[in-house]
Amino acid sequence: MDTILTNDLTVAITHIDGFIYPNETHLLWSLLIVIYPYITGLVAGAFIMASLVRVFNVQSLEPVYRLSLLTSLAFLLCAPLPLLFHLGHPERCFEIMMTPHLTSPMAMFGFVYAWYLMAVLLLELWFDYRRDFVEWGKTEPGIRGLIYRLLTLGVQDLSAPALGLDARMGKIISVVGIPSAFLLHGYVGFIFGSIKANPWWGNVLMPIIFIFSAIVSGMALCVFIYMFLCWARRFAIKMNCLDVMAKFLFYALVVDASIEALDWMHRLYAAEEEIHVLKSLAKGKLFYTLLIGQACLGTFVPLFLLGTIQLLLKKIPEQIRRRAYMVSSIFILIGVLAMRWNVVIGGQLFSKSLRGFTTYKLELAGQEGWLLSLILMLLPFAILGVFVRLFLPRNRLIAATA
Amino acid sequence: MRWLKIPPQIVRLLLVTFVIVSCYLILRQILTPVSFGAFGWYRAQALEEISARTPVFAGRQECDQCHAEILQTQAKFAHKTLGCETCHWVGQPHVEDPDVKTAKLTDHTCLRCHEQQAGRPAWFKQITSKKHYAEDRCTECHDGHKPDEK
Amino acid sequence: MKNQLNRRGLLGCIGGTVATILACSTLRKTKAAVQKFFISRQGPKGYDPTQHRWMVALDIERCIGCGLCVQACKTENHVPNSPSCFRTWVERYIIKKPKLASGETRGETVVDSPNGGMDGFHAPLIPKEEILNAFFVPKMCNLCEHSPCSQVCPVGATFDAPDGVVLVDPNYCIGCGFCVQACPYGCRFLNPTTKTADKCSLCYHRITRGLKPACVEICPTQARLFGDLKNLKQDDPIQKFFESGKAHASLKPHLGTGPRVIYASLDKEVR
Repeated sequence: MDTILTNDLTVAITHIDGFIYPNETHLLWSLLIVIYPYITGLVAGAFIMASLVRVFNVQSLEPVYRLSLLTSLAFLLCAPLPLLFHLGHPERCFEIMMTPHLTSPMAMFGFVYAWYLMAVLLLELWFDYRRDFVEWGKTEPGIRGLIYRLLTLGVQDLSAPALGLDARMGKIISVVGIPSAFLLHGYVGFIFGSIKANPWWGNVLMPIIFIFSAIVSGMALCVFIYMFLCWARRFAIKMNCLDVMAKFLFYALVVDASIEALDWMHRLYAAEEEIHVLKSLAKGKLFYTLLIGQACLGTFVPLFLLGTIQLLLKKIPEQIRRRAYMVSSIFILIGVLAMRWNVVIGGQLFSKSLRGFTTYKLELAGQEGWLLSLILMLLPFAILGVFVRLFLPRNRLIAATA
Repeated sequence: MRWLKIPPQIVRLLLVTFVIVSCYLILRQILTPVSFGAFGWYRAQALEEISARTPVFAGRQECDQCHAEILQTQAKFAHKTLGCETCHWVGQPHVEDPDVKTAKLTDHTCLRCHEQQAGRPAWFKQITSKKHYAEDRCTECHDGHKPDEK
Repeated sequence: MKNQLNRRGLLGCIGGTVATILACSTLRKTKAAVQKFFISRQGPKGYDPTQHRWMVALDIERCIGCGLCVQACKTENHVPNSPSCFRTWVERYIIKKPKLASGETRGETVVDSPNGGMDGFHAPLIPKEEILNAFFVPKMCNLCEHSPCSQVCPVGATFDAPDGVVLVDPNYCIGCGFCVQACPYGCRFLNPTTKTADKCSLCYHRITRGLKPACVEICPTQARLFGDLKNLKQDDPIQKFFESGKAHASLKPHLGTGPRVIYASLDKEVR
């Protein structure tokens, strides 16, 4: 019978191990849904780096304050793109803001995004840059000048009380921004954490793990971009600033690694019904991304490098420290991407019947292909490049405000 | 009325906020579907739209209109639990135009259920087709409407 | 003077906004009346969803694994064939005999569902002598009381209808797939043609016209039973099922989804 042949071929092609529900053959949330939490995580993490300056008064990080905020903004602007590309009906995306279902964590996306973009990030940037916009608007020619003048929103007042208000508002927004950043990324963690149907996802620690790995990745990104920008503009790196960034990165990494380790320890100890399929998943399909990518490269190597430097700070020459920071930040960025892969893809690789696995076929082109995801990951860097040209002038590279 | 001493930045920002929020509220009024919320958080019209789809299978009651004697006969024998379309498949074209015949019956129609298999309960009549008069067609000896007639 | 202009401007803005909102409201009511006139002509007239409570029961002892229900569902609801999309399917469970002197009561359980069971099952590779027990389990939407799928839908495109059926509104669904992930029973999928979520609709278009769902209509052994809990007749097969006193169970009760579909003779190995 032809149908029997088709049955066997379908199974053979998709390479199913064991038994899966028939509807689970093809993964629904693919690479696009891997990079979306990665991008919002970078947004939240970069913002936390900036808020360390304003809220926690870490003065040595002043040189990267503006860069961190601009990084956060560049990535935030690209954040909805993977979602739009993934939806079956992107033309209906407005429904999520018109009739948001209040029991769904996904429904808060539109509002949280709009709030974070407008009421936190753009507002904080505006208050910080307003004085510069007024001044640049007067001196810069052509379109650049026009852009700066538009961005002043017509408020030309540079008196002492006005500038004082700018500083105060900046601080208030920073304080409000921290929980907003947590909400922006934490809700994604809650989306996964709330799915009781999936034992890999449905977990109390999931939002916490997402938030802390987001902070780690955002800080690593700031380190990477700061070092890259200094190299590109042939500017001397302020080691004081970089050392402090790395210190906070290390602390965040310790907390993140501890919480992820706690998750695993609890799973292995409680050993519920799903532990067998999850162990097979970790050792088998997720061996490279989980054990090598996330654990070794993304966690242990940076912990070792950054931890050693923290212990022996003065004794390690500057050049070695810089190399170590660069390597650590790149590994962390890879490791956190691997973590998102392990959560999203890993959660769909095993069957909810806990009896088998399917395979994920990563295509090159098309809506779910890696080419599109690569472009979406590079786009924020291009936007950041534009921001750096417009808002971080060469003569005051990564300059302090006021 | 004297204008309160609100700093110009705040005034400008409040204005922008007001414009954005108003646009949102207006759009929400326009774009929310009309029947939304009648029964719950969904378009009540969806219930009508879904139930408006055309059924494919006709159902036993339709066959009963013309073939009542067959159904009455069948009700006395082991196949009383089967619907007509279980074996004859989609009957709607035949209901609309009786000259159109239903799908051709083959041995596979019978063997699909009656071939011996692990998992089939013991009370269910099963045969091993290779050993059970393999040359003849099932209908040579059995009548699907009264399969256990002596 | 400037302050007065500002104030007038602001009041003008507010007034304009309120007027627009009111005008939109009138426009929408007119649109609603026009739409109602056309659409309601096509649906079954006089069906009140609040007067019914649909119910399904599945008797594992009666299922013979012929797979006709799966095929009927695909035919009735035009379910695409690829990639594997099933509104309902049948699983075969083969429980092997325990190894000698192992102290176990059962051996390994082998489960399969080739193409959802749509073309039936061929003979298992496990020899008959090794099989302790084997049975077929039909699967479909569990008509959950507290359905996790409608809980997580961000826009309100999937919902619990008042008559107990969980439905998807294909004209409103954005295709995010959250509901597919949230269903513990794997009965949802993303329809590759409509690019929306899809699932067993209990053949809503049939039951609202007094017909039975296609799978129930076609099932040769009355393994699938269907009825209206608010209008049960004495000789209804599902009424007899409730009165039979067989042990009833539902799938994954520990998740708190409140699945209303009842299985008779459900083995502990079934997930």
